[in-house]
Amino acid sequence: MKYSGKLTKKMRQLWDEAHDFDPSDPMLGLTGKELSGPKLSRRATLRLLAAGGTLTAAHLMPGFSGMAQASGAPGGTLSCGWAGVAEIQTLDPAKIGQVLQFQITSNVLSGLMHIDASLVAQGDLAETWTVSDDGLEYTFKLREGVTFHNGDPFSADDVMYTFERSSNPEISIHSKNLANVEKLEKLGDYEVKFTLKKPQASFLTKTLERASGRAMTIVCKGALEQMGDAQYGLTPVGTGPFKVTEHVLGQGVVLEKFADYYDPERPKLDKVVIKPIDGVEPIAAALEAGDIQYIGGNPLAAQLIDRFKANSDLIVDIKPAPGFQSVWMNPWREPMKVTDFDKPMEELLKDKGFMVRLALAKALDRDTYVKQAHFGYAVPGYGTINPAMAFYYDEAIADKSQQAFDPDGARALLAEAGFPGGKGFPELELITTPAQKRNGLVLANIYKQVLGITVKVVPKEFSVGIQDFNNCEYDMRLGGSGGDYDPDDGIVDWMMTASKFNGRTRDKEKYAFGYFSNAEADGLIEKQSVTAGLEARKALVQEANQITSDRVACGFLYHPVDVQVRHKSVNYPAESRIPGLHDLDRVTLG
Amino acid sequence: MASYMLRRFIGSIIVMWAVATLVFFMLRFVPGDPIAAMLADAGGPDEIEAMKRNLGLDRSLFVQYAIWFQNMLHGDLGNSIYGSRVAVTAVLAEAIPRTLSLSLLAFVIALAIALPAGILSATRRNTATDTTVSLLAFLGLSMPDFWLAILLIIVFAANLQWLPAIGYAPLSDGFWPWFSHLILPSIAIGTAFSAIIARMIRSSLLEVLKADYMRTARAKGLTPWMIMFGHALPNAMIPVITVIGIAFALLISGAVVVENVFAIKGLGRVLIEGILNRDYPVVQGAVLVVSAIFVFSNLIVDLLYGVIDPRIRLN
Repeated sequence: MKYSGKLTKKMRQLWDEAHDFDPSDPMLGLTGKELSGPKLSRRATLRLLAAGGTLTAAHLMPGFSGMAQASGAPGGTLSCGWAGVAEIQTLDPAKIGQVLQFQITSNVLSGLMHIDASLVAQGDLAETWTVSDDGLEYTFKLREGVTFHNGDPFSADDVMYTFERSSNPEISIHSKNLANVEKLEKLGDYEVKFTLKKPQASFLTKTLERASGRAMTIVCKGALEQMGDAQYGLTPVGTGPFKVTEHVLGQGVVLEKFADYYDPERPKLDKVVIKPIDGVEPIAAALEAGDIQYIGGNPLAAQLIDRFKANSDLIVDIKPAPGFQSVWMNPWREPMKVTDFDKPMEELLKDKGFMVRLALAKALDRDTYVKQAHFGYAVPGYGTINPAMAFYYDEAIADKSQQAFDPDGARALLAEAGFPGGKGFPELELITTPAQKRNGLVLANIYKQVLGITVKVVPKEFSVGIQDFNNCEYDMRLGGSGGDYDPDDGIVDWMMTASKFNGRTRDKEKYAFGYFSNAEADGLIEKQSVTAGLEARKALVQEANQITSDRVACGFLYHPVDVQVRHKSVNYPAESRIPGLHDLDRVTLG
Repeated sequence: MASYMLRRFIGSIIVMWAVATLVFFMLRFVPGDPIAAMLADAGGPDEIEAMKRNLGLDRSLFVQYAIWFQNMLHGDLGNSIYGSRVAVTAVLAEAIPRTLSLSLLAFVIALAIALPAGILSATRRNTATDTTVSLLAFLGLSMPDFWLAILLIIVFAANLQWLPAIGYAPLSDGFWPWFSHLILPSIAIGTAFSAIIARMIRSSLLEVLKADYMRTARAKGLTPWMIMFGHALPNAMIPVITVIGIAFALLISGAVVVENVFAIKGLGRVLIEGILNRDYPVVQGAVLVVSAIFVFSNLIVDLLYGVIDPRIRLN
């Protein structure tokens, strides 16, 4: 833990007070008043940080304030470049499928909850909330006096409407996220109650989160009816700090300050201009030429990071990003065929297909890969649980996992499987996107060096590669996930037999599962989902993560880092620094 | 003339229909799933099925074609199946002015360079001027347009900071914002284009300048200026116009690389991204527009032959 023996007596007292709560208490020992917005008390802030496992000595320093303000003056226009994209295709939360899209809507639309820089769920449109003892009922008291950008008042009806719209798979691509909701009731104009089918620990941070959640990002019924879905997708009307005043496809999005935002202190900026910029050199030139002052969107090309760091006019801030990337190995294809991951480990280790899988995972020299493919800007990965999740992340997994880099062990396994020195091993195809081709070549070289096998890199457009992956028609594929703020985003979405990505359009007669299936992992993941106690949940999450790593659900490769690049005139307060997001409401210029 | 134009027009419509139909079926036979691309990190099998139903992709191919064709005849090119399902006509309406602006400016720059360069080179054959122009033309042809584009950005945007590095501003924002955003990409595209035209003008002029009627013109005392612009150039322009017509059409659909470098979403990028995302309606709409541009620019070129050289009769 981050508890330090160097804390002063006062800081030690604060530390103990922050951790003095019952983990099974969803309110963490805080009163509704203490949790009410727009400003949290210092006690509540420290308690939430402690509950999230992210409280550090720095937070206990006398000068620390959870609501520290940016230092510049209010006003001005911030020009942003959104990297790796030619067009912001939609801002309708029901249709959003890319992180770079919800990075924008997080500034425009609100949710009931929003995570903070420490990944603690804070009330957004929810002023307070209570959770029943059995974890099945969540009752929310909504903010009063909130208005949408078009002047419509916000009330419980909008929550009901959003729920109805998002539950319809014909309209929303996130309807599955609400599958655990038995019903939603309106208790009053500003009070709603969710009843769940089974307890869900991630309900606040995953389902109700305004940015990455998307299913319950509140939409404006009046505006939708007036504008229609297509126009709403371009210029959505919400209750967020900025309103969309212009959106020209392929040209960009203009956000302007919403004067009636519920927190009169925010936003600071008058205007934000977001330009989609595809290509590595164009975005670098735009920043260096002063066309833009801030970069958001897709992860920045790693080769630019050192160039920006060397520029004294720019600030480069790097944090762990919420996601993971892996080498997926088709368990239905020789020579890595494994159709039963449930066997006891000792039996599994005698299975030739598993030996090959484990050899391929053990041969992953992640340090070299990170250095060569990402110029050192990534974290070697061994599971779906990423370092940005802090509390749930298991720092020891690099040593404990069967997948730990072991070239001799990998060669021995491959030899035992009948391929000594890689002889007789068939050429495998590794599907990448065109942009990942270089990373694929680095991987292929590592396999050649360590195992003496040939891996052919086959770049395919995303739409083709993902279809092969979904249909289980591939040897190996490079890919993974982003925007994973809660353990459920990793282990529930990817590592269960019923996970949505686990061969979602496969021939079920032919393939019982997609890439992985293990009953023990399924049980642990189910259990952690309904465990409210943080420590207990953490133990279950880490155990499940370890199983998926040891049993080679895939060759876990790396966790990306979140690189924020901005001009030195842009003041971006630490409290808004949520990995993977770009909340601009507290940003100032000057 | 009228019957010729009518025949060409009908022929053009048939060509456009054939291209669009071919693209409709070819797109559906190439691998790639638009729903999977759209859902990316969201949605499960239920959402996939619901989405297919909603978009009509669960119907037979011929039913889909019939619906698309019928709607097209009514001017409805459908909606993008990606993102917010914006009408294809709206997507094209955003992209076409950008591409036309870029292509026209590149075209003007190319002609402004190519005409004097070609004439100089031809009239001063085998001199230092001719060699210099030829060398510059080869240089222009050899430089990849994306490389020149990046070079221009580094020099004029990043270092000198005279011009914006990326983006597009519509003419409605004012002439300077429009022009300043387009000048660098136009130079990047127009340079190679000017080199091709300059070479064409040079070789074509050299042929014409050797003709008997040139000697007659000089013998009857016409000034060199009148000889060049009154007689030589119009006759030399016939093959040049053919090349210009085809190149202009290529320019409109093929400026993708430079559009990409300057983050300008024109017709080329709409088409490429539509193909990558398997956004069928967008690709079909864009192909229809591109084929129309090809067909009609060729028609215009054919008509121009008659204007430039009255001996050519269009019948």
